Amino acid sequence: MPWYLHLALRQLFPTGRRFPFFTLISTLGVALGVALLIIVMGVMGGFAYEIRHMIVDTEGEVQIVARSPIPDYRALMRKIDSVPGVEAATPYARDAVMLKFGDKAAFPMLRGLDLDSVSRVTQLGEYVRVGSLDDLDDDSIILSAQLAVSIGARVGDTVEVYSPLIINKLAADSVFLPREVRVVGILEIGHQQLDSSTAYGTIRLAQDLYGLGSTVHGLDVRIKPGMNEDDVVARINAVLPDDIRALSWQDSFSEFLWVLNLERNMIFFLLLFIVIVAAFSVTSSLLISVVRKTREIGLLGALGGKPVHVAACFCAQGLFIGVLGSVAGLALGLTALAFRNNVVLWITRVTQHPEVLRRYYQFSELPSHTSGATVALIVALTIVISTLAGLLPAWKAASLKPVEALRSE
Amino acid sequence: MSEPVLSARALRKSYPSGDGRLEVLRGVDLDIAAGESVSIRGESGSGKSTLLNLLAGLDSPDTGSVSWAGSTDTGAGRRAAFLGMVFQSFYLVPELDALANVLLARRILGRLDPAARTRARDLLARVGLAERAHHLPAHLSGGERQRVALARALMNSPRLILADEPTGNLDEQTGGGVIELLLSLCASADAALVLVTHNAAHAARTRRSLLLTSGTLGAGRA
Repeated sequence: MPWYLHLALRQLFPTGRRFPFFTLISTLGVALGVALLIIVMGVMGGFAYEIRHMIVDTEGEVQIVARSPIPDYRALMRKIDSVPGVEAATPYARDAVMLKFGDKAAFPMLRGLDLDSVSRVTQLGEYVRVGSLDDLDDDSIILSAQLAVSIGARVGDTVEVYSPLIINKLAADSVFLPREVRVVGILEIGHQQLDSSTAYGTIRLAQDLYGLGSTVHGLDVRIKPGMNEDDVVARINAVLPDDIRALSWQDSFSEFLWVLNLERNMIFFLLLFIVIVAAFSVTSSLLISVVRKTREIGLLGALGGKPVHVAACFCAQGLFIGVLGSVAGLALGLTALAFRNNVVLWITRVTQHPEVLRRYYQFSELPSHTSGATVALIVALTIVISTLAGLLPAWKAASLKPVEALRSE
Repeated sequence: MSEPVLSARALRKSYPSGDGRLEVLRGVDLDIAAGESVSIRGESGSGKSTLLNLLAGLDSPDTGSVSWAGSTDTGAGRRAAFLGMVFQSFYLVPELDALANVLLARRILGRLDPAARTRARDLLARVGLAERAHHLPAHLSGGERQRVALARALMNSPRLILADEPTGNLDEQTGGGVIELLLSLCASADAALVLVTHNAAHAARTRRSLLLTSGTLGAGRA
């Protein structure tokens, strides 16, 4: 090992002392910055990851949309099924309805499902907490959990569904009676918005309610594992008529994902300043070290040490603190993420009802997803910033003339 | 006659002082032969340390030249191999134990191998500190620290040792022991020695004694 690296390590970890105060404080500052970045980026990544899961689990990776209802959707399904990379397709009809149970009303989106094909495209069945998708018929619906709570309906109750067509009928002075349907299941996805405003029925029920006849609003498509979504979307679009097009889930939610990404980047940028502030403390400590060790620096010159190597000795101390702080921060951050829900549960119990989390943050648990690329970026930036923190002290040390340094008091 | 290990010609050095300049060295000439020991005495402020710094290549003269074994290359790269230095204040690295301090000279030279470790241990044994190789400087007495510094100065088998008042911070008895050791180590290593000292008795132990007065060197044997 070159002498300047050896000396840098020895100055950080002197013989006979495990962890000197200067090294401990400097490393702790960097570690806290890294830990905070890991925790916040992990939770932000978790939100994005959960949202992707929910979208894909409930609607597939690709949506087929049209300007007007799609006639002869079965022929279109066959055509899409034959596209390389497509696993399966299922039709849907979706619109807002009014649900009434007793004197309570709600205005959810009612999504009509093709029971023969929906389980090949979505994982909706896994989210049904009470009952089953198989219990659905043309006179029954499944309510999302919080929607059921908000109107007080339970499995076995009968609710009234008012179609949006009622407005058109009223304008034509005719009467359109609400449809009475049984509640046969409760579904919970874990996302506040979906769990409070969604109901599911058969495609036939939705077609009747929305006056679609035999047409549908669109199709959801699942692609085969390992296939590139954009490639499959392009292949599907190639076989679709001009007025119908396929969108990947990223395209369908592009604005939302853009905002999410912007938030992540902004938070990353702002939290990076914690590491930068910690790096300033490393600079300050190393500058004090240069002043304190002036005569030792002079000695190194007298022994034949070159100024560039003296500089490297102090730069390396910033590097080692960066590496050590990154490792400690990574361990701290990942540990905190592992116990995040225990911490959040404790905080919500002490401060507010746990429902507050679900109501305002959409999720019943704090999600987390830490990607390797994010961790690598955080660690790399921290090490670079910490090393740069050693530059000024390194320059000061290198610019000391040995003869003056040896003479200093 | 063989080429001198150290040669200085017409060295002049001055420092800013008020409106003018204070001339410390006014044309110093010096030749040191291989294995020779030379002491330089002089009053405080006479320029002994300034001269030593010029001889070590740590400072540049206003005029004149210094050459080591015929070469005027007195840069850091050559210094590590050619000369060893001993200071009044020992200048041991406090984070390193005695053995690591001795080995630091070899590390800077860039040739740390098992043989170097053996040599460092041998040198510590020769200065009587074999049992204290893993003691930090803070746990050594002044005399012991200076002996570690002697071992460090000799680590790279230099051809020249420059010692700047090495007994200045030691009591008479300890200082005498250090000078004895320094002379004996230089003699056995066939290294030339330039010893800057106030102490006439120590100076008398060297083969040649010089006196620095009014910025010039002259014979100093009392």
